[in-house]
Amino acid sequence: MQPLVLTIAKRDIAQWVGALLESGKVIAPVRGPCGEAAFCRIESPEEPLWEFENPLAPPKQFLLPQTDPIVAIRRNGGVTTVAPIYDDAPRILLNVRPCDVRGIAFLTRMHEMEPADASYLRRRANFTLIALACHVPCRLGFCVCSDSGPFLSGGYDVQLTDLGERYLAETGSEKGEAAIGHASGLFRPASEEEVAQRQRLETVARGRFGDQTCHFASAMRRISTRRVDDALWEQMGDWCLECGGCNFICPTCYCFSVKDRGGDGRWTRCRMWDSCQYGAFTLEASGHNPRAQRGERMKRRFFHKVSAQYYVRDGATGCVGCGRCIKVCLGGTDMPAVVAAIRRRAWHEQ
Amino acid sequence: MVSTATTCPFCACGCGFFLLAKNGEAAGVAPGESHPVSAGKLCARGWCAHEAPSWGSRLLRPMIRRNRRLEPVPWNEALDHVAGRLRELIAAGKPVGVLGSARATNEENYLAGRLARAGLRTNHVDFCYHSQCRPLLAGIEDVTGGSTRPIALRDIESCDAVVLVEGDLAKTHPRAAASVLKARTRGARLIAIGCARTQMARVASRFLQVAPGSEGEAINALLAAALRAAGEEKQAARCAGYDALRGDLQAVSATDEIREAAEWIAAAERAAFLIGPSAGCGDASRKTAAVIATLAAVTGHLGGPGSGLLPLLGRSNARGACDVGLAPDRLPGYEPIEDGEARRRVESVWGKALPSGAGLDADRMIENVSGLVVLADDPAAVLSAGQRARAAIERIEFLVALDAFVTPVVEAAHAVLPVASFAETEGTVTNMEARIQRVRPAGPLPGDAVEGWRALAELSARLGAGGTWNSAADVFHEIERAAPRYGGTAARIFDGGWGSALTEMPEAVRFNVQAAATQELTTAERPFVLAWDGAFDWGGDPLVSFSPTLSRDSQSERKLFPNGFVEMSGDDADALGVRAGWQVKLGSARGEAIVPIRRRDGLRRGTLLAPYAFRDCLAGVLADEGITAVQVERA
Repeated sequence: MQPLVLTIAKRDIAQWVGALLESGKVIAPVRGPCGEAAFCRIESPEEPLWEFENPLAPPKQFLLPQTDPIVAIRRNGGVTTVAPIYDDAPRILLNVRPCDVRGIAFLTRMHEMEPADASYLRRRANFTLIALACHVPCRLGFCVCSDSGPFLSGGYDVQLTDLGERYLAETGSEKGEAAIGHASGLFRPASEEEVAQRQRLETVARGRFGDQTCHFASAMRRISTRRVDDALWEQMGDWCLECGGCNFICPTCYCFSVKDRGGDGRWTRCRMWDSCQYGAFTLEASGHNPRAQRGERMKRRFFHKVSAQYYVRDGATGCVGCGRCIKVCLGGTDMPAVVAAIRRRAWHEQ
Repeated sequence: MVSTATTCPFCACGCGFFLLAKNGEAAGVAPGESHPVSAGKLCARGWCAHEAPSWGSRLLRPMIRRNRRLEPVPWNEALDHVAGRLRELIAAGKPVGVLGSARATNEENYLAGRLARAGLRTNHVDFCYHSQCRPLLAGIEDVTGGSTRPIALRDIESCDAVVLVEGDLAKTHPRAAASVLKARTRGARLIAIGCARTQMARVASRFLQVAPGSEGEAINALLAAALRAAGEEKQAARCAGYDALRGDLQAVSATDEIREAAEWIAAAERAAFLIGPSAGCGDASRKTAAVIATLAAVTGHLGGPGSGLLPLLGRSNARGACDVGLAPDRLPGYEPIEDGEARRRVESVWGKALPSGAGLDADRMIENVSGLVVLADDPAAVLSAGQRARAAIERIEFLVALDAFVTPVVEAAHAVLPVASFAETEGTVTNMEARIQRVRPAGPLPGDAVEGWRALAELSARLGAGGTWNSAADVFHEIERAAPRYGGTAARIFDGGWGSALTEMPEAVRFNVQAAATQELTTAERPFVLAWDGAFDWGGDPLVSFSPTLSRDSQSERKLFPNGFVEMSGDDADALGVRAGWQVKLGSARGEAIVPIRRRDGLRRGTLLAPYAFRDCLAGVLADEGITAVQVERA
């Protein structure tokens, strides 16, 4: 299938969003009551933001909710029935940034591994991803270091690029073509100049990254070959306040625990976000904890994110360079800081 | 998914987040970058704040105890019954009282205090956590002569020196710990004073390791060295008792490492002094608080911009509860009950004459009243009396519980009124920086529960102290008139967005400085110091115990150590020949107890720490005094 490369005028965009709203639930970044951008289900075509800093909470909440009912359990007399709960509602994720598209790809790859997770995959199968490329990199992003942006080369259903007066729309799938098909009259094929302009914007954007860089390759060599001193992990562990924010905010983190709630013969089994940085995450019933120390837990987290062993399995680092952990981490043990410490063989000097 | 900007219900840092609700139930949390306190950062409790309201056992119906069983009744019947029984007790000359809560909103606590004073005509009004934080606040007041503005968390980040009298800040107040770490990355000197090498002590520039209860001694030494380092009496003019202080400290010597630390404090452009409550040991912790305030005052870091003291309050609305007058000897505004001007002001707002004379505090109230209204709290989980408080509560003739959750108090109560949790209510709370912030409902009230302020307003009306409030905001407007430091804040609080306003607080200008009295606790016969670790147990709070994620640590500890434990340094354990989990026999002046030990790296030798959660297991050797000398042997 040949991808379509089209454009749409900015003045027509609301009309397109209106058509999308008729085909399913649309989730997009909107301006929240406290002034910040947040992913939210929209009701009207004017709501989505088109120029915004990527919301602090990634769209993960819509694919893998913090509290996710997955099994309904019923007991009637002596008979217990167990039925999976699926969410098959069609959803369109509009104006999702490249890093978050890569994050969703990472989550999907994990949930496809055997045993495949039908709860996640059925929800994911009904999602259409309409990405908005970043022609201006965000302040703390370093997606360019993990090949997750600022523009996507695949993995999207539609990728939009802001050309000034118009948006360029590249389709990446049949779902993407369908999304455009809801209002195909608003689109016209892109000119050669418009395609060239998109390429120029990507080149310029790649050169405009800010303060954050993250040299994964050298950190990966050290982590994968156990050449990071335990003393360094222990020292960095002293700066971790065990909030779990790095996990919850990370577009690629998916660890969970399972809890049942209900009573009187009806229960719901829920999947709930969990954090590998919590002491009790690996606590065993005997009281033994294989990762009792903060440093050990941090080592585990970064091994999963940055080691060659996992890179081979997952086909990507477990970091899409969105920079959100820099904002949420209470102690400053975010991805770029830890990667830098590993390369330097020292945490910050005092 | 509905997203509601609200304030975290756990510690008194007062972080903000968006509470996410699905189908009317709290289902998640998203951080808010623009929040004035948290700026997008949350701790584990904040990230899991949605769990307790939706996973906890919730109270759904008003209930009255009949034939020893709680039976659901309509609201009107429950309220009439409660008012009638309280009136009967008063008519019979029996004492009644009201306990508000550091977990309740300002509006709820204000109406609880008003109900006691204007409705029940008594000053028996308090909140349980006040027992833990009162000595700390009193010690600071001893020096500043009244409430003074605490340093803001964000201002700590730009300090050059931070003095931290430790509990375990990383665990108790992660947001405050984050500010200290931020200051540290900017090159600030951190001086940690405590008995255990905690996380903060490990990143400190200087860790002064002292026995529990001897913090004052270390601060005295810092003070003596700071006076010498500060040059000639820079602050003397602002400090009453300065010469006496110099005299008291004449003989106090300072080691090189203390002298250097004192120089850091004296030379700092901006400095922060953080101190939390310690459980029990009331008078000693008051003195420690006073001497840390003195250290701040004489080094010129009190009463100026960007520097100051921060009392680390454990529960979200402890300061607000004080501010709205939940104290047996204070009025709204935290002014003394005998202050004529304050009395007239409150009397004119309420249209009622106030009862005079200080009432009973929480500890005494549960022992002495015949009728008690408890709002959103479990005294046995908070007060240091522990299970003795439970027994006292169970002896009370008529106990009323207003709560969102099924707590042990509810199970002992004669009448139960279901109210909203933080996730369903409108109101305000005041954090430890004295910042008033909004709490907003993210979903509908469960069952027949009503907002707490509404239940209290209905009860007040039945006891002749009603008002004309139609919303929590109406109650807040009345608080503005009754507690002047809240005056004029409504415009900013109800302004949309996060809704946050610092209260008007005076900057202290003159200080009554004082050194700490020191005393030797241990003897040759009892060479160990045994103290409670911490002054509050989150594991006993429904917001944690009902959260599947947050309750794991406390639950597993309770399972593994049903009879409690004490922590001991590895060296002491080796010297005694005991391994982790082995029993030791402790003997104090009070009596004996046999408990298992846990080894704790970095704990000062000669110190034993008992988690506050396990205080009942050690009641035989250590009770209300919170700290004692013990003899230890292998059991």
